[in-house]
Amino acid sequence: MPRTPGSQSDANPRDNSKAALTRRRLLQTSLLAVPGAMALGACARASDATTAAASGASASGAAIAPTTLQIASPDNPVRWPIAPGNEPIASGLKPEQNGVLRLYNYPDYLDPEAIKTFEKKYADSGVKVELSTFNDTQEALTKIRNAGSAFDIYFPSYDSIGKLVTGGLIRPLQHSYIPNIANVYPEFLDPFYDLGWQYTAPYALYTTGIGWRTDRVSEDIPSLVNPYDVFWDAKYREHIAVLDDYREGIGMTLLRNGGTNVNTDDDALLNAARDAMLEMNAATKPRVTISGYTDIPEGRLDISQAWSGDLIMAVNYLPEGVSPDILRYWFPKDGKGLVNNDTMVTLKGGQSPVLAHLFINHILDQATAMGNFMYTGYQPPQVSITAESLVSDGVIPATLKEAVVLPGYFKTGYRTLELPPETDAKYAAIWQQFKAG
Amino acid sequence: MSKGVQRLTWPILGLPAVAWMFLFLAIPFYVLLCTAFGSIDPLFRNPVPAWNPLDWRLTQVAVVFERLFGPDNFYLPPVMRTIGFVLIAVVISLLIAFPVAYFTAKYAGRRKALVLTLLVAPFWISYMMRMLAWVNLLQTDGIVNNILSLGGLLPIEVNWLAGKWYTVVMGLIYGYVPYMILPLFAALDRISPSLLEAARDLGAGGFDVFKRVILPMSIPGIAAGTLLISLPMMGDYFTTELLSGSPETSMIGSLINTSISSPGQSGQAAALILVLLVVLAAPMIWYTRSTSTAEARS
Repeated sequence: MPRTPGSQSDANPRDNSKAALTRRRLLQTSLLAVPGAMALGACARASDATTAAASGASASGAAIAPTTLQIASPDNPVRWPIAPGNEPIASGLKPEQNGVLRLYNYPDYLDPEAIKTFEKKYADSGVKVELSTFNDTQEALTKIRNAGSAFDIYFPSYDSIGKLVTGGLIRPLQHSYIPNIANVYPEFLDPFYDLGWQYTAPYALYTTGIGWRTDRVSEDIPSLVNPYDVFWDAKYREHIAVLDDYREGIGMTLLRNGGTNVNTDDDALLNAARDAMLEMNAATKPRVTISGYTDIPEGRLDISQAWSGDLIMAVNYLPEGVSPDILRYWFPKDGKGLVNNDTMVTLKGGQSPVLAHLFINHILDQATAMGNFMYTGYQPPQVSITAESLVSDGVIPATLKEAVVLPGYFKTGYRTLELPPETDAKYAAIWQQFKAG
Repeated sequence: MSKGVQRLTWPILGLPAVAWMFLFLAIPFYVLLCTAFGSIDPLFRNPVPAWNPLDWRLTQVAVVFERLFGPDNFYLPPVMRTIGFVLIAVVISLLIAFPVAYFTAKYAGRRKALVLTLLVAPFWISYMMRMLAWVNLLQTDGIVNNILSLGGLLPIEVNWLAGKWYTVVMGLIYGYVPYMILPLFAALDRISPSLLEAARDLGAGGFDVFKRVILPMSIPGIAAGTLLISLPMMGDYFTTELLSGSPETSMIGSLINTSISSPGQSGQAAALILVLLVVLAAPMIWYTRSTSTAEARS
């Protein structure tokens, strides 16, 4: 769609009042240009400015300045400021007595056994764990911002960390409670989205590739010149699906078109991606769904864009007597594909901060992490878990070795970064058009 | 009872209904308007309603309008598709429901209540469960294909769930047809048998009786049933989501759902709901007019 004034509901250049521009400049200077010692003071100003912008917005209706939220990327790693009054909790505290630990996560994304073992481990303090679930990030952020919500731990993807810090919703971690961090890939001690792991501990890793079953698809997909072309191949018409996630769908199309930037703002590339996606609709009539992990094993789909965890999960959904050997997953051998991870953060509104730290430590424990992996299908960043050990331990069939996320992927792969609002609106419009059919 | 109290009785009895309408129609509708004409939080990208109508901005509505009627009007196909699906589904529902309602009203005799209960029985199960059941039945190796191909004798293998418009329409019909049967039954049950006898005595044949007596007298039932099923069908996204999942069968409800779940687009979802409201106004007005003429006639 050609960009028209008005299609950018929240970033309309005509709405930029003078006040908005100065707020913007203040945000820029205070957020982007403050090193070391100035960070604390500047951060107070920045969060004041954000609140001012937000309240100004609600008071004056639609006049809103484009946000200048700092965007973390591997080329521009970020050390988030720690606001005064939001320091990490003291070390060496006893867990809260009879505390309730409230977790906020996607459904089916945490092993109930992990909760049980945690409650048993801290039975002395009488801890009770409550798990609430959400279906998408927008819903989650809305609830977390609601002052009444008192969740302790939230499991966001790394692309919302900026919002959570800038909005003052999360608490920095007290590292002394989390010795099990030693179990995870070293890069997560200094990830680009949170240098020094001040706010986040890594939760689960996944790549985005293609899943299929060999009894229905005879083509050798990994040997194709461009495996992504299957989504445009009319022979899979009506038997194929793409993930119901705008960044995954558009990101895959950008890569298929030969791109290497899945966060591009280039209109030419985005228009080409949009046209290709409309062609895909015409050529293969894909379903748009995230239920591939059941649809592939149960035979409703032959081939689908998939998260690596989907195929590992799919083994559990195969009808009785069907060998898991028919399931395959492809991710670029050179690691140049979509690689992402989710994190654990402690929320400011939480009433049991000590228990929250202890729970994060519990999840990073090797045995808990392995149990959680078996339950959710999503791999924890544990150094001890390798593709070889998983196959030899019989956790996954050898034919699904490609679904294991290798540490090296975090250097070679493409990360789905948070987008500036104007760019994000372009992606949303493409997705709307694709899904309108 | 004094005259004054009597004059107040009816308005007071009406109060709960007025309060209900105010709480659950007027206020939510105002919130919807404030969201559609409001703005977006710059940081969290969720909608910020503009409570004061003087602050209302047309930005979000303009986006939706542009996508409906602008040069790149990619919202229009789902809207037209929705209207088409609903028209077909309503006509077929009527064709199914009319005979069922008629025979229940005329011939079920003492077992009327039982027949009606059985007709409504599937509704004891949630809509989602019933649609999920269809997903199983309609799989390529499911029961429906098995029966169609006589257990594999005939080379029939329909991929029902691969974005077929007829599967979605079938789902809509199956999901809503009882709502058509019940008002039709109520209308047909009220037709006095003596009227039909009188028509026959005056020389009308079977078809004439239907055309000149039964059909005109069942118009209020047809109108109520049509309205009852077309309103929820218009906003339905669940049926197409489960039975197809393909963009090729996207409906207005799917557009709203996609908008709500993408950051920064919820205001557009509110604007889309306003569009849906305009589309729904047509059958509403028709219904109000047809019932008022029916009342005037009787």
